[in-house]
Amino acid sequence: MTPGILVVEDDLDLLGLIEMLLQEAGYRVRTAIHGLQALERVSDEMPGLILLDMRMPVMNGWEFAREFRTRYGRACPIVVVTAAENARLRAREVEADAWLAKPFDLDDVLRMAARFLPQPSGAHV
Amino acid sequence: MVIVYAVLGLLWIAFSDRLLELLVHDAVLRDQLQTVKGGFFVLVTSALLFELVRRGQKRLLTFGTEIRAAVESMVDGVLVIDASEIVEANRAAVELLGASGKQEVLGHLDTFVRRFQPRSTDGTPLATSDLAASAALRGARNTRNTMLRTLDGRDIVVNVSAAPIASPGETQLTISVFRDVSHAHRLETMRDEFLATAAHELKTPLAVVKAYAQLVQRRVPAEAPALAVVQRQVDRMTRLVQHLLDASRLRLDLGTGPRERFDLSLLVSEVIDRLRESDSGHQLTLLAPGPVSVQGDRDRIGRVVQTLLDNAVRFSPRGGPIETEVILDADQAEVSVTDHGLGIPLDRQERIFERYYRAHAGTPEDYGGLGLSLDMSREIVTRHGGRIWFESTPGQGSTFHFALPAGKEPEP
Repeated sequence: MTPGILVVEDDLDLLGLIEMLLQEAGYRVRTAIHGLQALERVSDEMPGLILLDMRMPVMNGWEFAREFRTRYGRACPIVVVTAAENARLRAREVEADAWLAKPFDLDDVLRMAARFLPQPSGAHV
Repeated sequence: MVIVYAVLGLLWIAFSDRLLELLVHDAVLRDQLQTVKGGFFVLVTSALLFELVRRGQKRLLTFGTEIRAAVESMVDGVLVIDASEIVEANRAAVELLGASGKQEVLGHLDTFVRRFQPRSTDGTPLATSDLAASAALRGARNTRNTMLRTLDGRDIVVNVSAAPIASPGETQLTISVFRDVSHAHRLETMRDEFLATAAHELKTPLAVVKAYAQLVQRRVPAEAPALAVVQRQVDRMTRLVQHLLDASRLRLDLGTGPRERFDLSLLVSEVIDRLRESDSGHQLTLLAPGPVSVQGDRDRIGRVVQTLLDNAVRFSPRGGPIETEVILDADQAEVSVTDHGLGIPLDRQERIFERYYRAHAGTPEDYGGLGLSLDMSREIVTRHGGRIWFESTPGQGSTFHFALPAGKEPEP
């Protein structure tokens, strides 16, 4: 089974849309609404890519990234998805592999998935 | 006094001998009288000189006391530094630093640094050589905000102005004047933090709207034009929010953005490509000499380019050409954007870089905006060691330029 994508985002509308978009593109998607939940998902199964929002309740993106790196090192690429002023800077702070600035284009999300994961079979978009 | 002294002296020298010759005919007596006269002359002139010196000294003393009293009564803290040694501190300085007496403030600058832990406003600790006084010792008058920990344990922000004291001797005297600006600084930080949070919170819903508009556009291609409008307006809103965010962030993290080397020509062409997609009815051209390497915050410089192009488009409502040029000089890279639109009214040209100022506000050509983008652009360019300027003729259009120091070799 190809590794899936873990989408960590506290805005449920945005989370639902990214999930739908990636699923329609054929990826396996799991979701979490804050960093702590994301750590649980990771301990269940290591994803092939993490799309990480930064400002979240309970455990934010910075804390999650730090904890993830401590536990798993560079086991999986992290792409920071942020509405902060300087997405590139935020990405560097958590040693992320790439970043997406909000608002993003849907194509950018798909491009990001394609960059880190093998093309899924059975895509219907 | 000096004149009286000089005139009396001259008269005495000129006429006393003549007078003696006229009055006394006995040669022996005259010699004796000559001796007495000489002694008398020395006595009188000494007394006069003594009085002169005494008066001068008294004046100096009074002057010194007045100066000291003036410095002592100043509301601002004053430190006098000789070489690297604080040799004088007024009452305000002692109070401001939470010290119980002058002795806790005086001493070597290194001791001052240990005792009061100076930091820049972003919290970075400052070394002795980073102090305003040290810069003044090197000959530069300068003003800056510095955080200090007072001896009674408070963190304060002071505005320090330091300058070398002009003195004829070899002494390395400088004077530092400082005042507590903690309250104003706190208010400014709170306002900026609020602005940053507000802007961030505004962008998230925009991201959702934009993403869903794209999703619907994919699924219902027939509605693509309408959904493109939604996206364009979302982008516009995002830029406004970005300007607000920029205005506050720039003040929060003073120039701590990433400094990377990048190709300015490529950046400008990317911005123009994005603008072409929106199809505003303008002919956008770019003249660039090939790769132009500069160092700085690529995103922010990109925003400056975007601002100049946005303005060019916005203020040429009838369309027409917009010419962008990248010029590489010996030591600077320049970008210029020329439009053939409305131009800026002459009486408003002076103020267009002011924050919140909108040159076309209240005119039929008022196309909205927050009046932040040029202020921000100037701030960004200045932070990069560059400058920004323009020429504009009302009714004929404007050319905006900015120049950055150009890097010759890519850094290893």
